[in-house]
Formats: sequence, structure tokens, C-alpha cells
Amino acid sequence: MKDKKHLTLGIETSCDETAVSVVADGREILSNVISTQIDIHTQFGGVVPEIASRRHLENINDCISRALSEAGVSAEDIDLVGVTYGPGLVGALLIGVAAAKSIAYAWDIPLVGVNHMHGHIAANYLEHHDLEPPFMSLVVSGGHTNIVNVPDYNRCEKIGGTRDDAAGEAFDKVARVIGLGYPGGPKVDKAAREGNRDAIAFKRVWLEPGSYDFSFSGLKTQALNYLNTERQAGREINVNDVAASFQEAVVEVIAEKAVCAAEEYGQKRIVMAGGVASNTRLRELISEKAAARGIDVLRPSPVLCTDNGAMIASAAYYAYKAGERSGYDLDAVPALEF
Amino acid sequence: MFNILVVETTGKYGSAAVITDDGRVFCASSETEMNHLRDIITISDEALRAAGITKRDLTHIAASRGPGSFTGIRIGVTTARTMAQMLGLPCIGISSLESLAQGALETAVLSGALYIASVINARRHQTYAGVWKVCFTSGSSEHTVIPVLEERQYMIEELLGKLTDPAVTGGGKVFFTGDGIDAYREIIEEAFDEKGLSDQLILADKEIRYQSAEPAARIAYRMASLGSCVSYEELMPEYMRLSEAEQRLREGTLSDKIRKAGRI
Repeated sequence: MKDKKHLTLGIETSCDETAVSVVADGREILSNVISTQIDIHTQFGGVVPEIASRRHLENINDCISRALSEAGVSAEDIDLVGVTYGPGLVGALLIGVAAAKSIAYAWDIPLVGVNHMHGHIAANYLEHHDLEPPFMSLVVSGGHTNIVNVPDYNRCEKIGGTRDDAAGEAFDKVARVIGLGYPGGPKVDKAAREGNRDAIAFKRVWLEPGSYDFSFSGLKTQALNYLNTERQAGREINVNDVAASFQEAVVEVIAEKAVCAAEEYGQKRIVMAGGVASNTRLRELISEKAAARGIDVLRPSPVLCTDNGAMIASAAYYAYKAGERSGYDLDAVPALEF
Repeated sequence: MFNILVVETTGKYGSAAVITDDGRVFCASSETEMNHLRDIITISDEALRAAGITKRDLTHIAASRGPGSFTGIRIGVTTARTMAQMLGLPCIGISSLESLAQGALETAVLSGALYIASVINARRHQTYAGVWKVCFTSGSSEHTVIPVLEERQYMIEELLGKLTDPAVTGGGKVFFTGDGIDAYREIIEEAFDEKGLSDQLILADKEIRYQSAEPAARIAYRMASLGSCVSYEELMPEYMRLSEAEQRLREGTLSDKIRKAGRI
């Protein structure tokens, strides 16, 4: 406690970001330290799990120190430790979990393991201080594409998800093939702004009527085939047009399904979360479609869309308030379900 | 005055020990294989309780920093670093190979061995290994070891070539320890047989063959006495090997694998 505020230290190491944050009363960010490894993994064309684990170990304690000092608090002021325990890369997760347990043990304070995906949704509580459940959430990130009904702080009901590749993965693959490189999402987003989204007729994969699931692998294959055909025919490829058309095919389906889900469940708000939530065109399209049906769309600022410790702290805080506690035997669960 | 907590999670079974100022060691071990992350705090706490002290009484945090299981190394080192950071204590980094040698020392001396070879299985004929010579200190019941072959990666055949070379071991008995025995027992026995040195070879029993926090605690105590401590930031893992991706990057054989695997 400091100044009568409950302080949560949030730790996130599920992929290639080492992130630690201090959050007051579950809502107010006092510090949000993010040490990214993108530069290291770029030379390998993607996240290398073993290297990610090694870097997390080297970075985590410095991130903890910085998060405390930037928040102007000391370790003994912390009331709760929240940590991502899945889903993610097991070797990466375990660094955060080991550090979090050591902190909880050293200070005799409670520990709460957080589902990374719940954390992404909670990022919105940090941005929109009046936001409270219920709402419909759209969680789109490198490894996940999910539509989630959120009836209260601690319940997340997945009503749709990807059956094969996540949206972010599809972006990464196509970005690599058209020479935009890693990380694909932001690069495709940028190139698409200069391109014509109707240039190439990529298919929209709706699956069976009423389904909120996604499938992007066929679209990815279609894009790869298109590029092969064009190259073999010796035609010049307009990278911006490919990016724009491909992106449109992905985000149109996501936006439409999210809005339909909100409507069906009677939710007046769609809360976006995850790295792909900062995609310019997705934001634009979903806002248009939602506005037409009287639904509000909320989203966190880009820094809270990417992996961060603050969202984990917020999710941990609300779980803690509902009586949840993790023991010292908390394990990393790489394939943790929603 | 020292009260040192030592964690050892580089092998199959994790353990934690507390060594107190009078040199007594209190050890607690994991009962489940590769359960390091789940057990590390609980066994550390058990060791502290057995020693009758609290974490506030600790003066140092030590960790076996490898070589061994990469995952295990990371769990132990991260725990030690963070615990030391929180409690404001110095750290001690211990070699798992030296700790294995320490754990074998008494038995090796009793069986007349002059050398101790700590060998950890690194798969595909690879090992992480180190070799020590036993020093008999006159007038002292405690023996010590001095390094003879540096700790690094060896192909098992290369290591055995050196250990069966009279120029290295002078015909003295060699005491093997570590899980390298499990993996390469036949190769080891054959190599000594071929040179007619079967009677110079001793293999550690399973009771002392694997990493344990107990011998690590004895080393930690000596290091603390010598002031060989580091800050928590300086306590680093000893993987003894680059990641596969980094090796490939260095060799220039990376590109194919990446393109095929996509996200590796």
C-alpha cells in the first residue's frame, strides 16, 4: 500500500517482451516497463524460443527494478504479484513465473497467475476508467483470434476462435513472403495504407452460418499462390496492393463477426484487445460497422495492445478481489485455454 | 556469519539446501522429475524450516548455474536472482560440474581414486564435463580438488581419450560421476578396457551420481568465506552452449530452416 492505494506488480514474459508494471487499485498505471526483443529475433525471421528464454532471464530483474523506481515505490509497498502463466512459450513463461513466486515468497504477499488473454482484455480497464463488464471482446494477437463474451470481471466466455492460423500469424507469413519482414502485422498495416484494397480479390472465409470461428490458412495459401503465379508470369508485384487486399480480407471477416456477436448477445460495447487491435484498418472497419448498429467500440492505446505487465496487474487485481490466489506450485501452462 | 540458501535445478530432480554458520547442511528435494518450477519455493522453504531460520536470516543466495537442463538452469538462476534482489543479498554462482565432483569426493577418496570426472549428458555423444584431481591435505580430514581438464563441452570420445592418456592421469584411478554415466556407460567402459585400464575406472553409484544442493552448499560456503560473491545482476547461467539458432546463424546454415519452419 502506498497513499492508501493497493499496489499490484504485474509480470508478463509469454513471448518476446519482458514486461513489468506497477498498477494502483487495478486501474491506474504507475509504471509500465517493456523490454522488447524484436531486434534480436528479427535476424532469425521470427521468435526463437530458446533465445527468448535466455533474454527474459537477463532482462527480468532490471525490468522489476525499473518498474518499482518509475512508480516511485519500493518492493515492500507491493500488495500483490500478478504473472502470466499461459498461454505462451513455456521457456519464456517460466522466467516470469519463477520471478513472481520469488517476489511473493520474499515479501509474504499473495500471488495470482493470470491467463494472458484475460490480461489483454483487462488492458481496457487501464485505458477506460469507467469501463465495467458486461461487454463483448475481440482479442486479436500474434497467436490468437478470439471473440469473447465478458459477463463480469473474472469470466471470459470464448464464443469464437481460429480453427487454424491466428490473424497475426497470417500477417507474419504473408509479410515475410512479400519481403516486408518481421513483425508482419505493423508492416502490412503500413504498406496497406499506400495500396488498393480492391486490387486482388482474396476470398472472405465466413465458415458455416452463425459461426464466430475463423480460418485464415486458406487465405494465406491463396495469397502465396497468387504471388507464385505472378512471379512465374514475370509480372511485377505491387507489395502495397497485396498487403492492402490481404489485410482487407482478414479484417473484414473479423470486424463483421465481432459486431454480429455483440448484437446477438445484446452487448452495447465491443472491447478490442491484443496486438492486432492496433491495426488501423481493423479499427476503422469495426467502428463503421458497429456505429451502424448502435454499438460502441473501445480499444486501448497501442502501447496497451502489445504485451505488457500493466494488463496482467489489472487482471490479477480483479481476480484477487474475487478471492483467487495461486500457490507457490504455480506452473507455466503453455497451452492454457481461454 | 553465513546462512546460505542454495538451489540446484540443473538435473532431473530439483533440490534446495541451507548451510548454516556451523557448517551444517539442511537439504530438501523434489520427489517428481523435472518439477523444478512447481517445487522450487516449497523446497527452499522446507530447507529453511529444517535449518530453523527464516529467509530474513539469510546472508547469501546461491544457485547452481549449469551446465545441465537449460530450463532447469533458468528456473534456479531466476529464482536466486529475484530472491537476492528482493532480500538485498549477494549471490553465489556454482558450477554444477564442480558440485558433482564435490558430491563424489568422499566416496572417490575411499575408493582410492586420484581423479574425478563429472560428466553431464548433452546428447548425441556430447557431454558437459570437467575433471578434477583429488588433493590430500595432510593433517586435515577434508580433501579438496583442483581442476585438471577445463569445464566445457566434450565429445564423449574426446573426453575418454584424455582420461585414458597416462600423460593426463598418470595411471591414477578415475572416478566418474554425473548422468553422463547413464548415457555413455558402455562407451566409457570400452574405452578403459581397450587400453587395459579397466581396474582404473570407477563409476559413481546412483545415490551420489546426480546434481544435489548439498555439495553445492559446501562449495557455496567456501566461496562465501573467500568473498567470491556477485550481485544478483551478475549471477548468470552457464549454458555452455549457444542456442541452436545462434549456432546456425554463426555457421551460416540458418536460412533454410527458418524459411521452412516459419515461426521456429
